[in-house]
Amino acid sequence: MKKTNKKMRPSVVFSIAFMSLLSAVMMYPMVWMVLTSFKSNADIHLHKAQFLPTEWTIEGYLTVFEKAPIGHWFLNSVLTTGLTTLAVIVTSTLVGFVFAKYRFRFKQPLFYAIIATMMVPPQVTMIPRYLIIQDIHLFNTIWALIVPGLVSAFSVYLARQFIEDIPDSLCEAARLDGAGPLRIYWHVILPNIKPAIGAIGIFTAMMHWNDYLNPLLMLNDKTKMTLPLGLVIFDNGHTTDLAATMAAAALVMVPMVVVFVLFQKQFIKGMTLSGMK
Amino acid sequence: MKNGKFVAAVLIPAFGFLAFFAFYPVVYGLGISFFDFNPANSHNDFIGLENYARLMHDPLFWKSVGNTLFFCLVAVSANIVITLTLAEIICHIPKKWMRTLFRTILFIPCVAPIVGTSIIWKYGIIATDGGLINNILGMLFGIPPTNWTLTEMPMMLIIILYTLWADIGYNVILFTAGLESVPKELEEAARVDGAGALRRFFSVRIPLIRRSFVFVAIMTMADYFQMFAQFNVLVADGGRNYAAMVLTNLIYRTSFKSFDMGYAAAISMALFVIVMTVAIIQDRVMKADWSYE
Repeated sequence: MKKTNKKMRPSVVFSIAFMSLLSAVMMYPMVWMVLTSFKSNADIHLHKAQFLPTEWTIEGYLTVFEKAPIGHWFLNSVLTTGLTTLAVIVTSTLVGFVFAKYRFRFKQPLFYAIIATMMVPPQVTMIPRYLIIQDIHLFNTIWALIVPGLVSAFSVYLARQFIEDIPDSLCEAARLDGAGPLRIYWHVILPNIKPAIGAIGIFTAMMHWNDYLNPLLMLNDKTKMTLPLGLVIFDNGHTTDLAATMAAAALVMVPMVVVFVLFQKQFIKGMTLSGMK
Repeated sequence: MKNGKFVAAVLIPAFGFLAFFAFYPVVYGLGISFFDFNPANSHNDFIGLENYARLMHDPLFWKSVGNTLFFCLVAVSANIVITLTLAEIICHIPKKWMRTLFRTILFIPCVAPIVGTSIIWKYGIIATDGGLINNILGMLFGIPPTNWTLTEMPMMLIIILYTLWADIGYNVILFTAGLESVPKELEEAARVDGAGALRRFFSVRIPLIRRSFVFVAIMTMADYFQMFAQFNVLVADGGRNYAAMVLTNLIYRTSFKSFDMGYAAAISMALFVIVMTVAIIQDRVMKADWSYE
């Protein structure tokens, strides 16, 4: 045993050294953003290759709060992400439950139909979706982002995979005790797929929080925008104010990164669960 | 179990919804592609297959097809090779907290919105004046600053590099989870039989994580065909001589900048056909298991 341990050591040292170096490289852009956001624009122009601010200032942040409705953007992002995520958790577990535990005609073709919608890239349907949103008068409201996302094929697929692992006998026993489908769903299914619910929630929330294409197509007014779109609009309007742009970028990105670092165990578990299924 | 009423109560609204927001747009898009369509017009002419005929002779369309395929092939292959290697390196580290730390750091760019990190790269990495690339090239080789947005192939490669930076964390997590699940006894047996580290990696570990390998390859490819935000931020007009124009950006610009929606719809259908073809080829080659278990 000792011999193999000694033999392994150089490769372990190399692995750790390599990964540390790579981690530094990976973190560089984020660190650069945060540091730049605390510089003054004069500082940025005078000391171009300097990494740290000569003098720390929150000027950039003040400019953002002064010139951009970032409070609105934040609220819009929270509302669209929150509502869609809640809805997707409910719809995907319900539909997944039906496909995993019930027998009915055309079950297989219907399931394939759901899977098929996953294969269509959103860019393929962006023109018709834009026109549909206009037709149903949701254009330029946050509902244009929420309503089309209420059912997600990928989440249905994931939920079904997990619900299938719950033994049929559990559902059967509950049914014989006189429980209706909704009670089985609430008391048997949901408590047994908590990790899957976490994974679906994380995926959906991340997707909607970071979405750029849909807000770009569906929203016009500055106050109706979500954070990612707002950031691009802000960048286009303040190309010479790098400190403010980086402050805006930091405000957009830091919340998600903090949430991730706090809940990273659940994130990683969710990712691997869905990937391994 | 059987319960027709419950099944219907769940599936009818769900499918009604999918029909309206998922199936109908595909048909609607196909329909628009037969018209000279501009939403501002009161009347749009039916022109049959004219948009598709125009497509066949449009050099910009073909260039975008080439760029899209180039981007996907290079970025996806690089992604898979890099993430598998990194996953293997991470698995060599005995301390669990270190493995978690490295995976977390690699994943941080993935949780940030692509537009946000693209803007960071635009100013911090790519910028002519004070961008990291020019700083490094200047320091090491004394090369004067280059405006990368005015280059063709280098700009495309920078976007690929950006995409890898922004996206590898995801696959590293999937692959490390796969590799960690390989039983130690199998490795040990191969070692006793005299297989070296590389041999064990390729002949024991990779075959054992085939399932997640196939999943990752297909998902990454599907994902990369849809990449849009970084192109929209970094090379909004497609870059010099359209060297970085991809189909998603071409569709966006044709429909929402030029309002030539009929033609853009035809390009969308072409993208759909390409994505489907690639998915089918991949499916055949890798024998993916999407079967209804």
